[in-house]
Amino acid sequence: MAIFGLWVINKAGGLVYQRNFADGLAQLTSNEYLVMAGTLHGIHAITSRLSPTGSSSGAQVIEGESFKMTILLTATGTKFVLLTSLAETVAEPVLQKVYEAYADAVMKNPFHTPEMPIRSEGFDTRITALVGSGQP
Amino acid sequence: MTIFSLYVYDRHCACVYYQDWHRTKRPKPAVEGGILNAVSSAVSPQVVVDTNTANSSAFSSPRNTLTSSTGVVVAVGEDSSTPAMQQTPSEGSRSNTLPFDEEAKLVYGVILSLRNMIKKLSGRDEQFVSYRTSAYKLHLYETISGYKFVMLSDPATDGLRFVLRQIYNGPFLEYVVRNPLVSMDSREQGIDNDYFRASVDRLVRGLSVFT
Repeated sequence: MAIFGLWVINKAGGLVYQRNFADGLAQLTSNEYLVMAGTLHGIHAITSRLSPTGSSSGAQVIEGESFKMTILLTATGTKFVLLTSLAETVAEPVLQKVYEAYADAVMKNPFHTPEMPIRSEGFDTRITALVGSGQP
Repeated sequence: MTIFSLYVYDRHCACVYYQDWHRTKRPKPAVEGGILNAVSSAVSPQVVVDTNTANSSAFSSPRNTLTSSTGVVVAVGEDSSTPAMQQTPSEGSRSNTLPFDEEAKLVYGVILSLRNMIKKLSGRDEQFVSYRTSAYKLHLYETISGYKFVMLSDPATDGLRFVLRQIYNGPFLEYVVRNPLVSMDSREQGIDNDYFRASVDRLVRGLSVFT
């Protein structure tokens, strides 16, 4: 049970926030994370078109052998991605809380430019309080 | 819970086999040259041929689950090559359905990107297993030889990797790898044959998740 990291992807596919909590996944450069966020944005759009039955949302959970990525797509197109261990059950509620923190500490901040990287101490503190060091 | 479809890709990125079960939204047939021969008669480009010649082809399976217009799966052995069932206008006019060749490429693109992403994120040789959306779940099993088995199922199902492994260990090895008439790795021929299709069908229909 561990939370490895959190990404916030804006509606254009740009990574506006990225933070690692627990170790366990590879340490990548910020450039690599940017590429990965863009890829995920594209994949997310394609997965909704591949539905064999009716209309579908984009990918909500992507699983590897030892970790999973849980994706929350908001109504405005912002994506919150949480990287956790497979057994983690709190990923969805945590993402909802992160969305709340984002609304409070980022969107209500008059000095924040929408769609730009998030540099807000308030948001950082809220996330730390929410996720902690990654080991609950 | 149910199973929607199965795709098999070879190591040259080509879709070599396709089969579907409870699919409500079917792909349009592929365009000419879009897919290999003998992938699935259900989605192959529709050529105007005499029905007798079409049936005498060694690779064309009489089972064609896609052409049933009711959504009910056609029974094994039922003759489905009647021209009346060729793509109804309503099916063709649905703009959001992709032709099969494009769909197969999109599926391959998604699994390849996700596979690379998972490898990069984990920092070790970790495999991509599955992803889930609100309407379906996609499972991937990759063999050492580079064959990729992709299955789409209901979002509520657990991992189906063991099923894909069973398909590889059972029908695939028996009727494809050990079949001298199947040219694997040819880049021009799929692996569809009656025994493989029937055997996969039996295996999938026997699953507890298949209802």
